Amino acid sequence: MPPQTFRLLLLVVGIVVTYSTARCFLTPPSFGQYGWFRGEALAELGAREPVYAGRKACEECHADEFKKLVEHGHKTLSCEACHGAAQAHAEDPDNPGVKLDKLHFSVCVRCHEANPSRPKWHKQIVVKNHYTIAKCTECHVPHMPEEAP
Amino acid sequence: MKSHVSRRGMMGRIGAVLAGLLAGPVARTVRAAVSKGLASAGAAPGYEPAKHKWVMAIDANRCIGCGLCAQACKSENHVPAGPYYRTWIERYIILKPEAGADRARGETLVDSPEGGMRGFGQPSVAAERIQHSFFVPKLCNLCAHSPCTQACPVGATFDSPDGAVLIDPKYCIGCGFCIQACPYGCRFLSPVTHTAEKCTLCYHRITRGLKPACVEVCPTQARVFGDLKNSAPEDPIRQFYQNNLVQALKPQLGTDPRLFYAGIDKEVR
Repeated sequence: MPPQTFRLLLLVVGIVVTYSTARCFLTPPSFGQYGWFRGEALAELGAREPVYAGRKACEECHADEFKKLVEHGHKTLSCEACHGAAQAHAEDPDNPGVKLDKLHFSVCVRCHEANPSRPKWHKQIVVKNHYTIAKCTECHVPHMPEEAP
Repeated sequence: MKSHVSRRGMMGRIGAVLAGLLAGPVARTVRAAVSKGLASAGAAPGYEPAKHKWVMAIDANRCIGCGLCAQACKSENHVPAGPYYRTWIERYIILKPEAGADRARGETLVDSPEGGMRGFGQPSVAAERIQHSFFVPKLCNLCAHSPCTQACPVGATFDSPDGAVLIDPKYCIGCGFCIQACPYGCRFLSPVTHTAEKCTLCYHRITRGLKPACVEVCPTQARVFGDLKNSAPEDPIRQFYQNNLVQALKPQLGTDPRLFYAGIDKEVR
């Protein structure tokens, strides 16, 4: 073998060895576990703590209110749609420092204010023409919208 | 002058080359064995990505534009304040054509104040001028052939086996190619982490058996979420496909979205 061929061969081998060694140490072990990405990323993305607890968590303690809700017109509503994110409350229900959102007129109006873009099946009111002297809850029961208070 | 290599010398060289070629795989095996004890499991405990296929569907006939979904997404995922949304709502207003015009439909107006997360006020045009108006919630279209994944130069964006298109924040270099590649405008560069961010289908929730935050709070069940691999026929997601005429956004791009819409007009893109 001529020396120049040998040196070239040595160089190529050197490059290949350096590349495969470096690649081996720089590639995270979970890369390729599920596909062309770092498998551990799935666990890391899944590690974030939820902020919304979900309807089931609310039902565990508030079964009475939950039953009223699911038997009436607002049955599709999640508790947290009106009451706000509740994971902190669900984890520490006795802590008076962890409070849910205080409900306000705006919670009702957010969905029920008349708007030409809203579907026609949805019950809507023009707030300024709709018995403005009272609170919503004086005539309507949010958990049982068909019932009178 | 021709150099002569001894048989012994030649064997030695061949041996060295083979050893060099084997060094990589050997080192890899050793390293894998060492790191096996140290590395965490791939996904959340008890969650096997290959056993799920999460999909979402949206029935625009049911969307009332309350904006709870966009608001819940913002707080659930700690999305940076400002014009950054992982899901948002667009209001489409299709005007009546001008009097005497030979067109069936007038101009299309689209708005999304604060991503719709505080709800929508009255439209900017008089109700008499509106031919048709509706809300369209938007989010990652869960493409089976996602352009964003193909555009990522570092393998940070990927299609998870369970159907979510995700970003590995440790690998993302913030180049923004994926943001340009997404035909649905579903990605943004976070001003906090300087990496790309997008809807993860609330990966931390679905792997715990919860629904994504937007689906959880939607008061009218306009958003339907389910697992194609583990759904009974009466599952809401199956019912959605049975009861609706569905369509995907921009089908001509061949992205093959797994997010389906019912009740949207031809003007929606």
